[in-house]
Amino acid sequence: MSLRDQDELLIDDALKGSARAWERLVKRYELQVYNFSLRLMGNQTDALDLMQEVFIGVFRNLHRFRGESLFTTWVFRIAHNKAVDMNRRRRLFNEKDLYWQQDADDDEVDPFEQLSDTRPQQDPAFELVEERGNKEISRYLAVLSWDQRLIVELKLFQSHTFEEIAELQDIPANTAKTRFYSALKKLKGLMEQEHDM
Amino acid sequence: MTCKKTELLVVEYLEADMSAGQRLILERHLRDCAHCRQELSAAQRTQARLRHWQDEPVPQWNRIPESLQQAGKPRQWSGLFGWQWAPLSVSFLLALAVLFNVQVSSTPNGIVVAFGGSAGIDEAELAEYLTRLEQQEEQLQALTVRMEERQDAANGRLLESVLTQFGETTSRSLEQVIAYVEEQRQQDLQLLQSSYQQLADSDFQTIRSVQELATYVQYQAGSR
Repeated sequence: MSLRDQDELLIDDALKGSARAWERLVKRYELQVYNFSLRLMGNQTDALDLMQEVFIGVFRNLHRFRGESLFTTWVFRIAHNKAVDMNRRRRLFNEKDLYWQQDADDDEVDPFEQLSDTRPQQDPAFELVEERGNKEISRYLAVLSWDQRLIVELKLFQSHTFEEIAELQDIPANTAKTRFYSALKKLKGLMEQEHDM
Repeated sequence: MTCKKTELLVVEYLEADMSAGQRLILERHLRDCAHCRQELSAAQRTQARLRHWQDEPVPQWNRIPESLQQAGKPRQWSGLFGWQWAPLSVSFLLALAVLFNVQVSSTPNGIVVAFGGSAGIDEAELAEYLTRLEQQEEQLQALTVRMEERQDAANGRLLESVLTQFGETTSRSLEQVIAYVEEQRQQDLQLLQSSYQQLADSDFQTIRSVQELATYVQYQAGSR
């Protein structure tokens, strides 16, 4: 029996209320979804939150899955949308925090000192991940903007074509290409700076 | 040294599903353009470095949503099927029984269930059954006649008794009425007699008064 057939059987059983079938279905894709979330969010807590949101979304919409695409493609479409939503929420939250912090620290921070710090600014949400290789990769990804990080994820780790990315993000394909190229250039610069390449 | 084509070349070259024609054109350009070769090489190394990512194991988490946890609990047969579907099942079985003309009959050999109207009775049994039925009908008619006669006799006795009782009652009532009337007549006569006596007494007093008055008048006239 093919993976697709197995997925369909598990989906049918899960729709009939089988918790066991749902659990088996989740176990087949959770590793991919969790690592997708970890690369995007940069820390285990947020990655787990995102993964949970993804699977809750999958569960709620399971009856809408028609089998026209692979189940994994469908799951990652939901994962992409949930990631965008979570980033939007987190950004709003951080902006609010930064606003209050800015008021409090106005007299203490020397603006020139900030300008003199030329090191790439990392996303504060990023924490160190366990694996040494993954830790470095996470540090590189943290340098990218959210849009660049998302497009690198979709292109390099999910192996989407630029046409697919354009459709998923509702942007022109050329915008997707430019964004990807900018991300690569930024990463290349960072790697060269660290004599890594 | 820069090249306007670098960005397009790098991203197109990295696209996996690039056609053979496109790839040939790009490779021809790369042979001639050192800048693009250098940029493409750096982009490939960057990609390769990122692809060193090793999947990390998923921490323990609750995979089953709450709604499914409740739905996934083992269902009791009686709760699921017992009462919810029982009336429908019984109706369905009865409908099937009617549809297939199911007959259940008790015989000396046990209970016989038959479909299609045949209960396994042969003609001799049927004739015997009919004869018994006719005999029972005759007995029933005779019983009905006897009952009618008995009922008529009872009705006659009841009527006679009612009439006798009515006659006696009527006779007693007349005697009572006569006695009452006689008693009333005696009371009336006594009342009348006493009234005449009172009247007579009154008349006597009136005469005496008149006599006394005449005497007084005569006395007055004599004294003058």
